[in-house]
Amino acid sequence: MKVLKNVGLFCWRFLCGVGRFFKKLWQHKQGRVGLIIVAFLAVLAIFAPLIAPYDPYDVTQRAEKGLTPSWEHLLGTSITTGQDIFSMLIYGTRSSLSIGLITGVVIAVLGSLLGIAAGYLGGWVDTLIMRVVDVLLVIPSLPLVIVMTNVLGTSYAVIVLVFAAFGWTGLARVVRSQVILIKNANYVKAAELVGASKWYIMWRHILPAVSNLLIMSTALTSAGIMVAEAGLSFLGLGNPTAISWGKMLADAQSGGAMLFGHWWSILAPGIGIFLSVYSFMRIGLALEEILNPKMRKGSSMVKVFKHLNNTYLDEVFASMDEASRLKGEYAGDALPEEVKTETLALETYAPLTGGVPEVVPAEEIAIELPAAEIAAENAENEAGAPPAESAAPAEESAPAQTRGGRHRRSKKPGKPRVETKDGGDK
Amino acid sequence: MKASYVIKRILLTIFIFLVVITLCFFIPRIGVSDPASRYYPAQTAGMSDEEYEYIKEQIRIQYGLNGSTFQQYINYMADLFTGDLGTSYQTGSPKVIDCIAECLPWTLVLSVSNLLISLVIGILIGTMAAWKRGRWQDKLLLNASTITTALPAFFIALILSFYLGFEWEIFPAYTDQNMTANFDWSWQAISTVMYNAALPVFAMVIGGIVSYAQSTRNSVIAVSGDDFILTAKAKGLSNNKVIYGHTLRNAMLPIVTQFGMNVSGLIGGSVVIEQIFNWNGMGTLFLTANSNNDYPLMMGIMIFMSAFALVANLLTDFVYSLLDPRVTLGERR
Repeated sequence: MKVLKNVGLFCWRFLCGVGRFFKKLWQHKQGRVGLIIVAFLAVLAIFAPLIAPYDPYDVTQRAEKGLTPSWEHLLGTSITTGQDIFSMLIYGTRSSLSIGLITGVVIAVLGSLLGIAAGYLGGWVDTLIMRVVDVLLVIPSLPLVIVMTNVLGTSYAVIVLVFAAFGWTGLARVVRSQVILIKNANYVKAAELVGASKWYIMWRHILPAVSNLLIMSTALTSAGIMVAEAGLSFLGLGNPTAISWGKMLADAQSGGAMLFGHWWSILAPGIGIFLSVYSFMRIGLALEEILNPKMRKGSSMVKVFKHLNNTYLDEVFASMDEASRLKGEYAGDALPEEVKTETLALETYAPLTGGVPEVVPAEEIAIELPAAEIAAENAENEAGAPPAESAAPAEESAPAQTRGGRHRRSKKPGKPRVETKDGGDK
Repeated sequence: MKASYVIKRILLTIFIFLVVITLCFFIPRIGVSDPASRYYPAQTAGMSDEEYEYIKEQIRIQYGLNGSTFQQYINYMADLFTGDLGTSYQTGSPKVIDCIAECLPWTLVLSVSNLLISLVIGILIGTMAAWKRGRWQDKLLLNASTITTALPAFFIALILSFYLGFEWEIFPAYTDQNMTANFDWSWQAISTVMYNAALPVFAMVIGGIVSYAQSTRNSVIAVSGDDFILTAKAKGLSNNKVIYGHTLRNAMLPIVTQFGMNVSGLIGGSVVIEQIFNWNGMGTLFLTANSNNDYPLMMGIMIFMSAFALVANLLTDFVYSLLDPRVTLGERR
């Protein structure tokens, strides 16, 4: 039941996030261009049988080979098979968009899972995943994909799987480095301090924090996959039964479109590839611009910073925070200057899109703890906090008290203390 | 550069290379119990079973596929360290390493000239765009970079070969096969190669120039906000001295990284282009091997490409840490 509720909540948040993204995108000039083109291509793909004048899969509807454009065949017919090029162009949207999008989503799932695991869990998990990334980055990707399709066949599922299996490395790296920054943010440490489990933190705090990045990179990887798929089917190694733009180009070339001067049979699929890739890239770049506060104009940074200061964290942990900062043992202080500013930048985009410091009420986190522990904790807070606050100016006594309090908290099983000094990347 | 860093990097490289070799050993064995079965001839009518078994065994021995999988793995590794990448399944059973040696220079002709041209022109254009930040030159570059990234190189190549090759007949649309066969170092042979390489290099260079220009521009803009640039201007240095002496020098680091990445892709990056122009390089070799199911050759090419990329990455890391000692060694960039 609880799992269901969590999943439902996640989906709802995800949908809300997606809705906000579309709104932001629509307000962004370049993003709107991308959205309109994608919507247009999606309509073409979904209603292809209604829009296309001929069915290119139907052998009986083939005309004479290599006809020039006319009212009957708007872009002429294919040189090798005699299919109507205009209809093939419309049907080609299907394979390009579906392979691009599905692979993009699979890569987003794989990359985020592995990236979060590597970044947050660290240790041998991190080492293992990063070594796999190193290996996959070294092997040339196109030859590897070609070999895999040779071994496994060229069905639709295999192509998606092969692209996903070798395409997650870049995203995992980016996610990992973001997660390492987020790990040191106040709200994650607060959750750890209260005793939230690792899975809970990864699910409720880390994943929402990188979701912006995921949506952005899904758009960009989809664009990349579309190019790669076109290249693969151009080489004649794609799905042989499907109609795709790459295969249309290959057919035109092998049929001698160049010799006969049939420029339309080369230009049409090329423009199809260009439009789909361009629109996805536009969306990805627009999202990057929307999400990256460094590229934003004006004083939004200041506003966001003020907003952050008003979060519950400061209310709950103000005293403790103050005291430990005086001693300089707080993780934020141990970080190098560069990392600190990056952390700040990362936290700043959250409230804009509703991603990162989604404030989880303290009671909700506390549900994870047994009742006895909560009682003990409350007692401890009441006993510990006021003296710490009052003693804060006196540097000698305050740190000792807070450190004691922290230490007692960290003794709870299954909740290791935050590695405060482990700020950098590895 | 710390010695411990160097040793650590080299050990890691060797480890990755071993994993790559292992992968390449096992990929052809996915889903088949006897990888040599691909190469068995059909049993002819008059042949007894013993004779057929004998022929099969001979084939297994020829391709190093006899014995248990573990034994084959050990043999494969041992062969690799003597520089033997196996035997190709082509007629005449040439050594894989010989096939690679034959095709490698022709791929390098394309990719090295592509890399150098795009590096030089890209840096010049990028610096100019950064200097004219926000003006039409800059905007043109931004638009050009999104457009060329969305245009696959093979489509550019097709368009070029259509217009420049077939319609206007300025450059050859297909490579002259005699060019590679009878190459001597005469002036005429060299000029033929340049003439034939013009279109493929042109097709590859467009994307390369724009991407180098874009990253140069971003990096130069990032650096030009620094205090020492202001100091240089305040000293009264000329614009050119500020750009080339102070800004560009400090903006080079991201470009070194990108250059290193491109160097590691020198061999495997032109597969489709070579196919379009019928260029007799590694890409064509690989695709031919693929259509013949010539696994020893394919895996040999993959191992060779990976080794090349590994060495290139290693050198890039060392150069980077020499250029920027702040990279506290061991930290990833």
